[in-house]
Amino acid sequence: MRNMRKVVAILALAVLCVTAASAGGNEIKIAVAGPMTGSFAEYGNGFKNAVQLMVDEWNAKGGVLGKKIKVVVYDDKNNGEEGANVAEKIVSDDDIIAVVGHFASGVCLVAGPKYQEAGVIEISPSASHPDYSNIGNFIFRNNTIISVEAGAGIDIAMKTLKAKKIGILSVKTDWGTSTATITKNLIAEKGGKVYAHEEVVDGTVDFAPSITKMQAAGVDCVIVVAMYNVLAPFATQYKAVNPNIKLVGFSNAYSEQLIALAKENAEGIMFPAAFFDKSTEPHIQKFVNDYRAKYNATPSALTAQAYDSAGIILEAIKAAGKADRKAVRDQLFKINYQGVTGPTSFDAKGNAVKVFTTVVIKNGKFVQYK
Amino acid sequence: MLFQQIINGLTLGIIYALVAVGYSLVFGILRLTNFSHGSVYAFGAHISMVLIGYSFGMLPAIIVSVLITGLLGILINKVGLEPLRKKKSKGISSLITTIGISYIIQNLLMIIFGSETKFFPKLFDYGNVTLGSAIIGVRQFIIFGIALVLLGLLTYVVNGTKIGLAMRAIEQNSKASNLMGIKVNSVISFTFFLGSASAGIAGTLISGYYQMVYPTMGVMVGLKAFAAAVLGGIGVLHGSIVGGLVIGLSETLAATYLGGSYADAVAFIILIIVLLFRPSGLFGKQDITKV
Repeated sequence: MRNMRKVVAILALAVLCVTAASAGGNEIKIAVAGPMTGSFAEYGNGFKNAVQLMVDEWNAKGGVLGKKIKVVVYDDKNNGEEGANVAEKIVSDDDIIAVVGHFASGVCLVAGPKYQEAGVIEISPSASHPDYSNIGNFIFRNNTIISVEAGAGIDIAMKTLKAKKIGILSVKTDWGTSTATITKNLIAEKGGKVYAHEEVVDGTVDFAPSITKMQAAGVDCVIVVAMYNVLAPFATQYKAVNPNIKLVGFSNAYSEQLIALAKENAEGIMFPAAFFDKSTEPHIQKFVNDYRAKYNATPSALTAQAYDSAGIILEAIKAAGKADRKAVRDQLFKINYQGVTGPTSFDAKGNAVKVFTTVVIKNGKFVQYK
Repeated sequence: MLFQQIINGLTLGIIYALVAVGYSLVFGILRLTNFSHGSVYAFGAHISMVLIGYSFGMLPAIIVSVLITGLLGILINKVGLEPLRKKKSKGISSLITTIGISYIIQNLLMIIFGSETKFFPKLFDYGNVTLGSAIIGVRQFIIFGIALVLLGLLTYVVNGTKIGLAMRAIEQNSKASNLMGIKVNSVISFTFFLGSASAGIAGTLISGYYQMVYPTMGVMVGLKAFAAAVLGGIGVLHGSIVGGLVIGLSETLAATYLGGSYADAVAFIILIIVLLFRPSGLFGKQDITKV
């Protein structure tokens, strides 16, 4: 009986030690928050995979500050309410230094204030709504603000494609509506004119009314402010009516899924892109090959930005010398990171500064336009 | 442009009508609104996508897929609804069961096929016809034709065959039909088979038209087709065609003149207005008790 008690005591002690070890901060946690299920699961899982890949690379070299790095994943279902819940969970875990996420600007705008209040660093690899980085000084984005990207898209339409009558198709979400307004204003600034602007709700399947209106206005190039799930059927349906229509997308429609879904109708669609997976740069090739080997998929631009986001966080932790959120935050403002999405630094608001290349779909593949 | 938009609206309308016919058929016999219909439609589209992928011929693939979808209808009836009928539970329990089944099917599709939108091969492509100021795809005519043939076929089955007679007998009095030697459960299963098979045809045709499939594709179409069926007088087969066309047309015109964000609302506004003035729908019988 007495032996039994000893065994129990030792066991209890052992359990205590194990719990103490995990709570005592022998590891540094980085959270990934995004849609892991639902229509946008592709993006959320891309974030998860990319961050895991970067963390595995660091862990193989011995982690950061001598500690192992652990990735914790949260599913926000691309929904504001769920995003707020996830943010609550994340800020209540003291081991989490930073969050890579969320995906949609709308969700970021809901979750952001909670991170700011608790002093947790958030780097969104995708948020492009102008208001996002105004939330506070813990809120960063490793994505160019939408006006820069919209400007690049308009240049493609006006200069590269020499479009005479530009139309805009936008999706009725926070991001879509504000981006469409910015795009319209920029076109006016650059001396162009928008001949038709059609708004559709996300999830629209039938674009015939919008296409007919654009055709009636004589549009020869449409800037599509939407993700691939809108751009693909829109391209298919538009090309059935007018095979010569030129289409310009935004980087969040720049996904292999677009070609898989629109097939031959995706030909000739152009994008401004911060990341191009067929680039000949060795460090980009290494990332693409590693990602393919591990997940059997080609990383998208947003996935690449998530990968760089994780790298930026880890570099900042290393530079800060301690796993302190505030010290790491201060380092982020000083960083100049050579990532797979080009050299990245943050401006005073926490917006990333990047350079764009033009990508076009040719023979079922994305190629760099020269 | 207006003419082109009317053509667009009629195409969309016939798509709703294709789905609405299945709602109407089951309702006409059982007085049950089968809310799993939208998911069965998505199921049919996914099965067609897989079978067409095996490339043993487009037509055999579609036929097999339609049969499988029909069998799913029988399964839904046997597993979900027949036990409820045996226990003589209220109509509302069956209705809620169909909603539950709808979610089960949808989530199974997500688990098996993934939640992303997938490519569906083009079923037929014979180019465009220019009619005055409008460009009409030949496939729009084909969908229109198939919808009419399907409607004719279903009307014939219900009104001109022995099993149709049994269906109508069950509609009037299932107990008496049983006493007269009609195998009530088999006839109901057959009704579900027909309804689901028509959803399978609709799912395949529409996916071929838009060239994409996804697990939740039946939700919005299902709701609008339901609105179309009620609008035309649920239980009346030709009513669902008219109802579908009215909804499709008004949706397209709303998108044209009010903006795309109003398109979805219009179908339901029309439904509410019609129900206020004609509770049994445009072609409905007056004595229908709705569940």
